[in-house]
Amino acid sequence: MAQSTTSAHAVASPFRGAATLADEWKPRRFTSLRGVVQDRSALVGLGILLLVTIAAVFAGVIAPYDPSELDPTANLSSPSSAHWLGTDNLGRDLFSRLVFGARWTLGAAGLAAAGIVLLGVTIGIIAGYFGGIVDDLLMRLVDVLLAFPSIVLALAIVGMLGPSLPNVLIGMVAVWWVDYARVVRGLTLKVVQNDYVLSAHCCGCGSGRMIWRHILPNVIPSVIVLATLELGSLMLAISGLSFLGLGAQPPTPEWGTMLSDGRLFFLNAPQLMMYPGIAITLVVLGCNLLGDGLRDALDPRQRKT
Amino acid sequence: MVQFVLRRLLYLVPVWIGISLVAFLLANLAPGDPARLALQRALGRQPTGAETAAAREQMGLNDSPPVQYLNWLGNALTGDLGLSYRTGKPVLESLVERFPTTLQIAGGGLLLAIAIAIPLGVLAAVYRRGPIDHLSRVVALLGASMPSYWVAYLLILLFSVRLGMLPVAGSQTWQHAVMPALTLGIGGSASLMRLTRSEMLETLGQDYIRTARAKGLHSRTLLVRHALRNTMIPISTVLGMRFAGMLGGAVIVETIFSWPGIGKLVVDAIFDRDYPMIQGFVIFMGTAFLLINLIVDIGYGLIDPRIRLARR
Amino acid sequence: MSISHRGIDRRQLMLATGAAGIAVAIGKSTSAQEASSGSVRVGVSEDGYRTDERANIGFFPLNTNIFESLVYLTPDYQIEPLLAESWEFVEPSTWRLKLREGVSFHDGTPFNAEAVKYTMDRIASNGGGVMGIGEESAVIVDDSTIEITPTYVNMRMMEQIGHPNNSILPPGLNPAESRNGTGPFREVEYVAADHYTVEANPEYWGESGAGVGEITFQFYADPTARLLALQAGDVDLIVDVPRQSASEVEAAGATLVSGPVGAYEAMYMNIHGVEPYDLGQDIAVREAVSIAIDRQQVIDSAWQGNAEPGTTMIPPAILGDSASLVSAPEFDPERAREVLEAAGWVEGEGGVREKDGRALNLTIINGYGTAADHGSVPELIQAQLGDIGIDLEIIQTPDTATYEQRLGLGEGDLWLEAGSQNDGNPAFLPELLFRSPEEGGEPEATAYGRAFATGEEFDTTITRSREATDIAEVQEAAAEAMNIVINEERVVTPLCGFYRIIGHTDAVASFDLHASGVNQRWTSLTLAE
Repeated sequence: MAQSTTSAHAVASPFRGAATLADEWKPRRFTSLRGVVQDRSALVGLGILLLVTIAAVFAGVIAPYDPSELDPTANLSSPSSAHWLGTDNLGRDLFSRLVFGARWTLGAAGLAAAGIVLLGVTIGIIAGYFGGIVDDLLMRLVDVLLAFPSIVLALAIVGMLGPSLPNVLIGMVAVWWVDYARVVRGLTLKVVQNDYVLSAHCCGCGSGRMIWRHILPNVIPSVIVLATLELGSLMLAISGLSFLGLGAQPPTPEWGTMLSDGRLFFLNAPQLMMYPGIAITLVVLGCNLLGDGLRDALDPRQRKT
Repeated sequence: MVQFVLRRLLYLVPVWIGISLVAFLLANLAPGDPARLALQRALGRQPTGAETAAAREQMGLNDSPPVQYLNWLGNALTGDLGLSYRTGKPVLESLVERFPTTLQIAGGGLLLAIAIAIPLGVLAAVYRRGPIDHLSRVVALLGASMPSYWVAYLLILLFSVRLGMLPVAGSQTWQHAVMPALTLGIGGSASLMRLTRSEMLETLGQDYIRTARAKGLHSRTLLVRHALRNTMIPISTVLGMRFAGMLGGAVIVETIFSWPGIGKLVVDAIFDRDYPMIQGFVIFMGTAFLLINLIVDIGYGLIDPRIRLARR
Repeated sequence: MSISHRGIDRRQLMLATGAAGIAVAIGKSTSAQEASSGSVRVGVSEDGYRTDERANIGFFPLNTNIFESLVYLTPDYQIEPLLAESWEFVEPSTWRLKLREGVSFHDGTPFNAEAVKYTMDRIASNGGGVMGIGEESAVIVDDSTIEITPTYVNMRMMEQIGHPNNSILPPGLNPAESRNGTGPFREVEYVAADHYTVEANPEYWGESGAGVGEITFQFYADPTARLLALQAGDVDLIVDVPRQSASEVEAAGATLVSGPVGAYEAMYMNIHGVEPYDLGQDIAVREAVSIAIDRQQVIDSAWQGNAEPGTTMIPPAILGDSASLVSAPEFDPERAREVLEAAGWVEGEGGVREKDGRALNLTIINGYGTAADHGSVPELIQAQLGDIGIDLEIIQTPDTATYEQRLGLGEGDLWLEAGSQNDGNPAFLPELLFRSPEEGGEPEATAYGRAFATGEEFDTTITRSREATDIAEVQEAAAEAMNIVINEERVVTPLCGFYRIIGHTDAVASFDLHASGVNQRWTSLTLAE
């Protein structure tokens, strides 16, 4: 079957280049996570992500102020003991907004990733398991979507539906699932060809059971790695669209939106632009470090080098 | 070879039809009556019901969707992608005019990424686990993790405000292109660097390199002549993807640097609800990518006969 | 007359500027005799020039620099002769204009009645505009006299005709292809989306010509990049400084200049909505909202002090002496609570008032011109209304089109708008917004009236303003009409008066800022020695 190996996909993840080559992915289970635990930088990544997740979940406890509480007497104030990172033009506490913003930024990327994985895995398994015309049709669709730089279609979808965060997520899910579908399809094919699976099939094991018992466990680890690797790029893409005004709208404390608002004051209150930027960088860095480590743990070939 | 090219071309036909279908269907996502919208923008006022009905008929919106698609496809094939609501000019004309401008910074970005990534990647591999390796890894990871819109402002602050070396924004001279290209290049260099490193390590571990080393071949010659050359094939595969990424990233970068490319064009179109332009952008970029990939594929076919055979 | 043309025209005006103010001299003023030399680089926002048959020649910066209109709108909204020397109204509906003689276009073509007719016919073929110009409206009397008869009796035509979009073109010119006018500057180069360069017109007919030899307008879509360009010295002057970040100009080491009010921000209430958008029908709710708004806080927080409290909705200068007849309700949250209490809206769960089991939940639609034009104002209004027990939901629409679409459906209680006044007709905006809709009109065309119209008293007052001959009478009736909607019916709450803000370096010696951006004349711009 003709398959374009030069996928024309826009990515920001440093390792996506290797990740998108479907052939590299082999069916594998997480037998040991020792590799990850030993990889110090992966642990750092995990630490960052855990920290930010905790901040997002317990934002109400951690943040000293309500993120939308206005304090007209403290506009654009510099960092102080009352406002650790200073305030924005409405006197809202920047630190509190960043903490609550973690919910939006992580939440949006997480939601998009969940949608992408769900769609990608479903379609990939259907294509790989059932094969034939279903496979052909789905893979043609994948080829078509792969022909666009991903941001192009996502932009167009947002453009047609109108700027808003939900529309950005729709645009992302509608486009980014194709990588997963390709990888999962490839993995499914390899699993199905395994002898023990073939014999299980012969013994009257039903499709649902086959997928549940044999295919999914072999597919999920790779998908998790891929998703972690891409979570960072996803976050950059979503916050980038929010920065352009196409995604989250003010007063939502989404980090891209905050940075976009803050840039108007960057000479008098540089903190409004710097801290959201640092926050995004840190979280994306966390995703990249963890994804990198997970992949090494999963793929001895990479670890060897 | 001719057969290979023909086969690739033939394969493109269904994909292109798919692209056109996606672009056509996208337009139906837009809220509101397209005839009404087009008329409102053309007249500069709210059209009457009768005018809208006439426009619907004239635009063929009363035909069945398949007929509409075929008509639209026919027009698209002759280069007619409709008129922009915003400028009133043919959509294709604007896209063709703006695309090379974007190619300039994307191409510049790619060159900068290569210039940063490949030497660093090679050094990291040669001095594996040394300070260069660790440092370059940190730099690469940071570069890939920073949002481009943030990097763009930091660059302006450094190069324009502090150093006074480069103009803040605009597009008239080559100096104007430096910061947009650099912004794209920084984001793109990370993956290239990591890939160069890992491919290089693999090559250096190969038997023939070890043999060559044993034979006393000078190490620089060895690196450049043999190791790097063998590394170039997987790297060039990724270059295509990086280039695509840069064209996508141009959307944000062009907005900040007032770079009149295709990314700025489409962001403006989105805010203006210029649906014909958005639709035209989709089919144009889809087609452009198909062609870029085709050229890359043919290039491989020329370099490496194995690919020709494998793709059968 | 077609009211539907107006919404669009207002939108174009809005897009064309962003803000407006009366002229304020920065330093010394220029005289025509001074040699015009030196070049200035000016950072402006987005290039929004359309290059099709509807080329918006009034669009900044292509407006008064190159082309000129028949009359000039002064910074305090009076009209003065420009290409027309004098005019008179001839019953029943004709304006007869005496044209200036001895004027020629940049390419040497003489300016005459033929040019005016060509321009008017072009306006007619594009729909006729606010003025109601028809295909047979313009009739040449002689080389320097023309009669214009709009399709309806338009007493305000001369106030409207000065808008730069109605600038006079030489016969046959397609401004999409080339720009050739009678103005003090002539085109050197236009590179779409990058820059626009003009130079002094040495043969300019007027007394005060260009004060500099050349101006290059560089387009910076991003406001932060524009400011950085000023700081880095790439440009000498920037316009359209975001209101909330005006102090950034000073932080960048440049001089900040603002003019008086030429634009407005106001909040309108849907008084004809159906559930759940029917709470505006209750006058008590309207009154409470109108006195719950702390304008000073809006100005201090949302605009960082760079606006004035709104009183008349549109810039007061346009009302002349009658401006003092209008005032906005004073901020009085205590009284707002009492009004609601007395009307049966009592404190309910979570501090939100209730009446008959229904909570006082309102929705504000933010998006005219764009949501970004209002900065943080919606959030402040939310907080201020929250103080008196009104729960406010904020809905952002990305642009005017979506805003108007939503208004057409009546889906919202409060509507937040900002716009600028770019001609000398005070009756235009109130009539557009509050006049009772015509029977059987197109639903979209009458969206404003169907949400905000208050009835006969307003209709007759605003008609009186539109049809009066004497401008003082026009202004007085307009002021009366505004009082009805602001203080009696409380259907609109004026928030802020906006002025234009620019920043420049020491290279610039003087620049008179006009209230209205599209009417800005660049002849006053001079360089330091």
